[in-house]
Amino acid sequence: MISTVLEVNFRRLMHNKVELMLTFVVPIAFFSIFALIFGNGIGSGTTPKIKVMTVDEVNSPLSQQVVKNLRESAGLRFMRDEQAGSLDRDTATDLVRNGSLTMAIVIKNQNSKLSADLLADSSDQVASQVVTALVGRSLMLAQADSALRHDATPDADAEPNDDVAEDASVHVVDVIGEGKSNPVISMYAAGIAVMFLLFGATGGGGSFLEERENQTLDRLLSTQLTMDQLLLGKWFYMTCVGVLQIAVMFLWAQLVFDVDLLGHFDGFLMMTVVTASAASAFGLLLATLCKTRGQLNGLSVILVLSMSALGGSMVPRYVMSDRLREYGLWTFNAWALDGYDKVFWRELPVAALAPQLSVLLISGLVFLVTARLLALRWETD
Amino acid sequence: MSFEKAAELKAPLITPGDITVADVASSTSVAPPRRVSSRPAALVIDGLRKSFGKLPALCGVSFELRAGERLALLGPNGAGKTTLIRCLCGRTRPDHGTIDLLGRPIHEPGGRDSLGLVPQEIAVYADLTTRENMRAFGRFHGLRRRELNTRVDWAIAWTGLEDRADDLVGGFSGGMKRRVNLACGVMHSPQVLLLDEPTVGVDPQSREKIFTMLDELNQTGTSILLTTHHLDEAEQRSDRIVILDKGQVVADGTIGELVRRSVGPSRMVKIRVNRPLDRPLSISPESNIVIGSRGDDLLSTRIEDVSEQLPRLLSLIKRHGYEVADVEVQAPSLHHVFLHLTGHELRD
Repeated sequence: MISTVLEVNFRRLMHNKVELMLTFVVPIAFFSIFALIFGNGIGSGTTPKIKVMTVDEVNSPLSQQVVKNLRESAGLRFMRDEQAGSLDRDTATDLVRNGSLTMAIVIKNQNSKLSADLLADSSDQVASQVVTALVGRSLMLAQADSALRHDATPDADAEPNDDVAEDASVHVVDVIGEGKSNPVISMYAAGIAVMFLLFGATGGGGSFLEERENQTLDRLLSTQLTMDQLLLGKWFYMTCVGVLQIAVMFLWAQLVFDVDLLGHFDGFLMMTVVTASAASAFGLLLATLCKTRGQLNGLSVILVLSMSALGGSMVPRYVMSDRLREYGLWTFNAWALDGYDKVFWRELPVAALAPQLSVLLISGLVFLVTARLLALRWETD
Repeated sequence: MSFEKAAELKAPLITPGDITVADVASSTSVAPPRRVSSRPAALVIDGLRKSFGKLPALCGVSFELRAGERLALLGPNGAGKTTLIRCLCGRTRPDHGTIDLLGRPIHEPGGRDSLGLVPQEIAVYADLTTRENMRAFGRFHGLRRRELNTRVDWAIAWTGLEDRADDLVGGFSGGMKRRVNLACGVMHSPQVLLLDEPTVGVDPQSREKIFTMLDELNQTGTSILLTTHHLDEAEQRSDRIVILDKGQVVADGTIGELVRRSVGPSRMVKIRVNRPLDRPLSISPESNIVIGSRGDDLLSTRIEDVSEQLPRLLSLIKRHGYEVADVEVQAPSLHHVFLHLTGHELRD
């Protein structure tokens, strides 16, 4: 009897392609995505380069030597050429605040010694540690080199001594997060909210297929209701639920984790409405693409989890390699999370949300129009 | 239905001249009266054709549903009934042919406003209450405010679900769901109602209730087109029957007309005798017709005139030395007509 139960279940599994895929293909796909993220990310041989710029306030041969050493570091990507002219501290601060730079390295004189301020975005907790180590090392090497050159008894093999190392001071200046709650909280509030928004939208799309399977769609379309009205009604409903879902999530984040929702309400509202509407259109697109709810479940699990992993809902995108970050821009999540990041973390004006809002709006519109075209086949045989 | 009923069609037919034990008067048959004949057509289907790829589903279907008529659309699986219903409700576009509803082409804007549809599946929202479902479908049909409230109250009373009006439909029995399903198709008081197997899977009590509801609608003037595989329902609850097979109308008429045109008016007679036959009974010396076989105590035959031929048949049996223990007379039914017209091959 037990063997019969075993056989029956194996046979059922073999007949169910969606279940087979969820059992064997999806775990491998996710393993591969995470392996790509962490295998090519920080800590591996192909460390993602941290976007930096230097502000040389000293402009001495020694400070230039430090900058030169930093430019040779494999882990840093300088966003401006050597010849591009000097940058001041305020401009560098703005560039960090608006996300153009991960960090700005300001080299200055402190007590006649070279030191460095790292103007940092503390939401990227990995970058500040890496850059601190690299800058400290460069300062020490430059100062040691200078000391050796001016020393009366040069010793070419001498290591930088402890005194020099102590002098090479590096200070991390958080230019965004001063006085704010942990940046990871708003990031994860947005990340989780967007992921569940996508799941909710595909679930809402599933109700469409359910109506088709139990002939409710036939009945609905035999009334005065048109397919346009049905799709738009569902889209509005799913958008409203999505907005409420994200609002509740952030309200909770404000009450419990001190995320300043009310202080950023305008940007939050714009991002939330546009994100929820695009996610709803995406759910309808998936539903109209599939023939059955089984297909939709399989496809939505794969797509939503993949997009969430690549787009930063599961792990921050700053730990991903440059190539994966580029891939991430093809996901819905990345644009939404970048927008929320600008609202809650960088506190940029709503005009700065234009790229994110535009991409989400256009993609939502494309999803909706495509869903409508796909639904044509359900109107008449 | 069955092999037994099918076999009955092959029983010998005795005409009045075959039994010579007494005088035989000429037989007459009386067709059931038709309730609807002279009313204008509510729905006219003319030359409807539809193919899916190379597979023809409808091959020139034409018939009418008259105003106030109850018409049963029958056919084996794959005959084209569902395609026809989908054409009527606009879900399938026919390749050729026309459909007029109340004198207007059905594909015109608003052409289907007077049409109600009750699908075979329970096509209502299980997670809404009875009242919420009725309100929703009423609004989809264009009802607003006072008219909507009036119709919802009417529908709740009509379905007999007053005490379950605010319960979720998902928790209902099959029969109750069917009633809600039916009500949601008539919220806008359609003049023509399409029902696709409205009683599938319900118990006899619920079936009776559903047909009582349909009769009430019909009495207010609603024309009803019903597809069903319950031939007894079609026979008892419709004024006219259309049989569809292989995408074509193979019969159209009242049950009496269909019987006359297909299997004829003869009656099946089953006579049980007090002991097994010694040999088959010869009906008359002039004919070769015999009934029964050696060892049987049940004789089956068909006769054209019960009132005249049956007494003589019983006398003949008695004259052969047998006592009649039981007699059963069966009128030809829609089952016989249906199998006669559509054959016995499985269509699945």
